Amino acid sequence: MKIPPRQPRFKVENFGPIQHADITFGNLTVFVGPQATGKSILLQLLKLLEDTPYIKKEFSLAGVDWSGKFTDFLDVYFGEGMHSVWSNRTSIEKNGSKIELPDLVEGKRSNRQESMFFIPAQRVLALRDGWPSAFNYYDASTPFTLREFSEHLRLLMSDFGAEGTLFPVPRRLKAEFRDLLQAHIFPGFDLKIESQHAQKRLVLTSTQEGGGSLPVAVWSAGQREFVPLLLGLYWLMVPTKAPRRKGLDWAVIEELEMGLHPRAIAIVMLMVFELMARGYRVCISTHSPQVLDAVWALQRLRDHGATPTDLLGVFDVEPTQGMLELAGKVMKRQVKVYYFDRKGGTTRDISKLDPNAGEQSESGWGGLAEFSGRANDAVARAVANSNP
Amino acid sequence: MGFKESVEETPNLGGKWMVGLDALRAQDKVRIDPESTSTAHLRGSVDIDTAWLALDPQGNRWDFAIGYKHQNRSDEFIYWVETHTGADDQIAVMFRKLDWLKTWLSGAGRKLAEFDRLFVWVPSGATSFRQGSDQVRKLADKGIKYSGSKFRIPLNHKKSKP
Repeated sequence: MKIPPRQPRFKVENFGPIQHADITFGNLTVFVGPQATGKSILLQLLKLLEDTPYIKKEFSLAGVDWSGKFTDFLDVYFGEGMHSVWSNRTSIEKNGSKIELPDLVEGKRSNRQESMFFIPAQRVLALRDGWPSAFNYYDASTPFTLREFSEHLRLLMSDFGAEGTLFPVPRRLKAEFRDLLQAHIFPGFDLKIESQHAQKRLVLTSTQEGGGSLPVAVWSAGQREFVPLLLGLYWLMVPTKAPRRKGLDWAVIEELEMGLHPRAIAIVMLMVFELMARGYRVCISTHSPQVLDAVWALQRLRDHGATPTDLLGVFDVEPTQGMLELAGKVMKRQVKVYYFDRKGGTTRDISKLDPNAGEQSESGWGGLAEFSGRANDAVARAVANSNP
Repeated sequence: MGFKESVEETPNLGGKWMVGLDALRAQDKVRIDPESTSTAHLRGSVDIDTAWLALDPQGNRWDFAIGYKHQNRSDEFIYWVETHTGADDQIAVMFRKLDWLKTWLSGAGRKLAEFDRLFVWVPSGATSFRQGSDQVRKLADKGIKYSGSKFRIPLNHKKSKP
């Protein structure tokens, strides 16, 4: 008998705004819910649980010392003042086993490889000076996930040389993705490394003859948000035959839609599908109904025997061989969706995304479709009563 | 004049008023979920479709009307409910039904046009319409609320009326 793939399960109680969270992860797991309901700190906690020895090693190399004080560790890991998320009532279970986080943090192991790559919501800060900063550049008030992301981008830059092109690059990403990104995010521009006064920086250079270079400060909001995300995806999608970067099993992307037009969000979702197809266990948080549109379509199309071509049609992309293979793989993967409910501090499994569910959090897609629903209701009432 | 009296005074509906949701077919009744079923709130129902079947057999007749007295309103309110397949190709059919209903309300049914109202499409069977979808927006724009597979009538109306 074939053993089904293991589905990691985490239960967390009394952690920050979370009273009770019970999450079973799919190949793709989506977190939705209002601001400050615990989506981000739960993802950061997940990273901490998966990569404790690695995180300690990174802190150690950077000279960060919490002197055995667990609350100080929480402040340097989650960011200044965040130790308050922990209390003596906090409990954590991973795959049915209770985890004593203070003991885990104090453990001796400190030199393991990283298994989760985390692209934080504040990713734009990693390029604020036009070039990714080192881990140590940030002070201890900055969350680990941002410091580490910035450090990874800094390391990634060495792959591209002193005056290299970062996008488009032949061996980075599928050709179809490069074409889509060029058309919708970088129309008429290449992303390059440039040196000015002996300082390297990222620029967008016009592909037209005589066109100039644009530094980060004048990029569009969408480009500023997208470039660090693109570089994070480069880190995950190595330009070798290996589907994943060595040691990495998980990919976390917070608020992937930030600053992007719906067309660009669709491309990013396809790239999330690419991560799934490569075997990463992907977790994303989102405030975009379009992301749930994509998940809903993926699940419904699969349930009703639709083809990979049908799925690609949702994204309005050509059914090339490569994209058909991608869609075919993704249609076999499992997706989970969780709603973080401020009331009660609980999580709800709304994976079915059933528009007819009696539970409003599911039919309203965790609040993402509620506004549209209320707008529709109000208009329906007004129209029904205005024209007898 | 209340819902019951207005039904009784409407041509071809005399004697058709029924208590509670009794005018609805059994398979439709389970799709309606009034928060209060007390007769103080649920003011009865009438089967328009059957009443007008013989008179207008080819018409796109609407199904039912349900009278409701919300706790926060002084007047009675009518929910015009159509249970119908929830599919893309049925949107045009629903618009024709709404046209039929509005025409009827401006003529024989004018007593019932005096009430505040909501036109509601309750899908029978599976549907893939969702809140915020183009289909639901198109319907709202014509004055039709597309409900989930169960339509809940709240005790308090969103829009109170003293």
